[in-house]
Amino acid sequence: MSHDYSKLIDELSRGHRSRAILSKILEVCGDSVLDLSRRNIVIKIVIKAKCLRTALENIYKEHDLYLRTIAASDERSREGLFKLYYVFGIDSEGTNLVFEVPVAEGAKVDTISDLFRASDWYELEAHDLLGIEFNGRQMSRLVLPEDWPENLYPLRKEVSVEELKKMYQPQLISRVSELGVEEVVRIPVGPYHPALHEPEYFELYVRGEKVVDARYVGFMVHRGIEKLAESMKYDQVPFLAERICGICGFVHSTSYVQAVEDALGIEVPERAHFIRSIVLEVERIHSHLLWLGVALHLLGYDTGFMHAWRIREKVMVLAELLTGSRKTYGIDLVGGVKKDIDKDKIPRIKETLNVLRKEFKELVDVAMSVPQVKARLTGTGVLPRGEARAYSLVGPTVRGSGIARDVRKDYTYAAYHYVSFKVPVYTEGDNLARTLVRVDEVFESISIIEQLVDMMPGGPIKAERWEPQPMRLGIGAVEAPRGEVIHVVLTDLYGPYRWRVRAPTYQNLQAVPIMLKGVDLADAPLTIASIDPCFSCTDRAVIINLRSGSVKTLPIEVISRRVRGNG
Amino acid sequence: MVKFLKMLSISVREGTATRKYPFESPLVTPEFRGKIEIDPVKCVGCGACTRICPPKALTIGNEGDEIVLKYFEGRCIFCGMCAYVCPQKAITVSKEFELATWELGDLYDEVVHTTVKCRICGKPFTTVKFVKEVEKRIDNKVPEDLLTVCPECRKKLTARKIGSKVVGVSGE
Amino acid sequence: MLAVSDGGKPDLTMSEFALNKLEEVFTKLKRSVWVFHLNTGSCNGCDIEVLDVLTPYFDVERFGIKLVGSPRHADLILLTGPVTIKTIGKVVRAVKAMPRPRLVLALGSCGVGGGIWFNTYATLGGYPQLEKILKDAGVEVDRVVYVPGCPVRPEAIIYGVAVLLGLLQPKSKHRRVSAVEG
Repeated sequence: MSHDYSKLIDELSRGHRSRAILSKILEVCGDSVLDLSRRNIVIKIVIKAKCLRTALENIYKEHDLYLRTIAASDERSREGLFKLYYVFGIDSEGTNLVFEVPVAEGAKVDTISDLFRASDWYELEAHDLLGIEFNGRQMSRLVLPEDWPENLYPLRKEVSVEELKKMYQPQLISRVSELGVEEVVRIPVGPYHPALHEPEYFELYVRGEKVVDARYVGFMVHRGIEKLAESMKYDQVPFLAERICGICGFVHSTSYVQAVEDALGIEVPERAHFIRSIVLEVERIHSHLLWLGVALHLLGYDTGFMHAWRIREKVMVLAELLTGSRKTYGIDLVGGVKKDIDKDKIPRIKETLNVLRKEFKELVDVAMSVPQVKARLTGTGVLPRGEARAYSLVGPTVRGSGIARDVRKDYTYAAYHYVSFKVPVYTEGDNLARTLVRVDEVFESISIIEQLVDMMPGGPIKAERWEPQPMRLGIGAVEAPRGEVIHVVLTDLYGPYRWRVRAPTYQNLQAVPIMLKGVDLADAPLTIASIDPCFSCTDRAVIINLRSGSVKTLPIEVISRRVRGNG
Repeated sequence: MVKFLKMLSISVREGTATRKYPFESPLVTPEFRGKIEIDPVKCVGCGACTRICPPKALTIGNEGDEIVLKYFEGRCIFCGMCAYVCPQKAITVSKEFELATWELGDLYDEVVHTTVKCRICGKPFTTVKFVKEVEKRIDNKVPEDLLTVCPECRKKLTARKIGSKVVGVSGE
Repeated sequence: MLAVSDGGKPDLTMSEFALNKLEEVFTKLKRSVWVFHLNTGSCNGCDIEVLDVLTPYFDVERFGIKLVGSPRHADLILLTGPVTIKTIGKVVRAVKAMPRPRLVLALGSCGVGGGIWFNTYATLGGYPQLEKILKDAGVEVDRVVYVPGCPVRPEAIIYGVAVLLGLLQPKSKHRRVSAVEG
């Protein structure tokens, strides 16, 4: 049999790493591999659930391999089975390794959360939303509220949104009164502060002023997007995707349309690729400026905060000029874009970028020379390179820890292969490193836009026709300001059959407890913010003082101020 | 050492950045997408916009003997897809964004269409203007049933016709 | 306590109104309005615009509008998001904590009508739905102004505050027209 395999492996692999991985898998569980295929950069392995873990045990130490996403899907109506799609990336080859795992109803899958720590949440989510069981790990609620009925799984096809609404009615009144019980010291401030919006929690366990452990309690913003998309048409979903995140919405819509284009083999006109790339970079600049402002605010340097936002406003006006809206640009459609960038706008773009480059440089020079800013960024919230790899982290977070992972380079998309740019990498892994990565990226983005604008080809901006096909798998990945966004789409005739969104924060948040261990309480807010959480989820922390055992809740701002006041 | 004081000179150079709005015009670029306007002269009530509208801010439905196209500004996401797909170019995207109000009802725009009633069951099923538009576009070559019988009755009619052919009994 | 009164004429744009009646505006704005920002599971789009009105370009501190960290200190809640089921308890509690008169500015298409999420299993669908729950919980809200936009422009937020404080009559009117036969 082995000679058969070697021929197959030759056909499928895209380099020595994928070759090594494929032969290892076929060697240890050749009998359990049901199918092997490759399309473009995606190698797909259909493997029996019982052998998945064995296969991964043999390859997880492979250095360039990291978990990109896991998509669970209910395909009982077609094949009588649930399916799990494990998407791994091989950075050096730009290859996606997809394990398609059929799971019968009620069957259990072995966990891989000890091999790939990032898989922890994916497994919990698959259990919450689809009721897939995992062996060898503890299960708990992640996405849905604690009082959600047992055995009601929203992403299963047989339940409609109306039924779900009927079957789960939040116990509002009792919950309100229950919250009124003041048995622990809880000050009803927060959980919202506009500098760091969004209702998400971290529980920090502190001894004195040192954080000894932390826990993330979140998913407050679970809005049932994936279920909603199953009732929508192809061209409606980009607008839904854009509203996953108001800061980096365009990366989501681009990622979605790329996944659909990949699945259906749609040829997108070059000009559309250029327009997408330009808008993506505009979005990155605005997002990094926003982040820098907020970070400076958390450090107590409000002058820098105000100036960062003053400069950012020019980018917002530019975004509106290019797309028609300050945020949630709404120009992505499957097969291209809706709005062209006219020639007469190009001088305006260049002018804005020039001003931006100059003003941003001034701001950064000054801000980084402020002694307090420097002191509080240096050496805090350290994320070692090894941990960054183990957690499959993405974006500036991983690039601050010495790993040059960037979707734009590794799995190039849109028009990025036409431009030359650096991927800034710092090795220290502290808050300063992550800040500097973002600062450098702003300059790179400015240069990328300038190059793209000069090279922009003519022609149409949207593919004329395309035919939907059922049950094709597509993967779309985009480098968002905060890291890699990856969407997995299973197609259907009118809209997506299953659409799995993975935002960068999903990976990065899981590593925040590591960064927090051992930092001063005062540096905790900045450390949490240093991954640039997409839900900007950092506004409130529950402080549990281990010595006194008392619990109190403070807005993260207050923690930051309190200690700053002392020092 | 005191490099951070350079911020002062930047602040002096930049002066006041603050816009004077509401005491001056807002900072709106020519491309801005605001509220949509539906032209009651051009609209034929075909419902293409309601099928593409991602948040279903545009809806069309029967209200007694009328068919009403409703636009709820409160749910509109200002994406402009309706204007993009409208076959009659009846929808335009305006620059209006000062929409705040204390009554939810103020945020509804409605276009009322007169209807064509089904020749068989008598239910209103499409708009007069839509029928006229279809006739105009395909030059009166439409089978008459299509424009006078509602889809449900049409289904029954077709079934009966096929049935009569198969059984071989002349139905009509 | 805020001095809230009706006034102004319809059909004037905000800028026209403000220019004509500059003095009137400032006499009506007797006290500063303190606002609390309540995100009920929004996408962040409106939230960064809220932050935008507080930073140099739109700087609402010009009008004495100040952001506070606790609803107990606030006159006005800036509510963004479609109210996800996981946040309901906390949202109700935050509104309850606010002293009377309770003012709410429902921001964005999510806050006003649930936005693109108005019909999912995990959201309520904006402020109108939340209002029923607030009523059940015995929390009264004295005045609400709906500010559509996706996301709301910073200027739209300023306009919304002006409408809320009764500085001007809203421009939006229910419009029901017959399709003219062509």
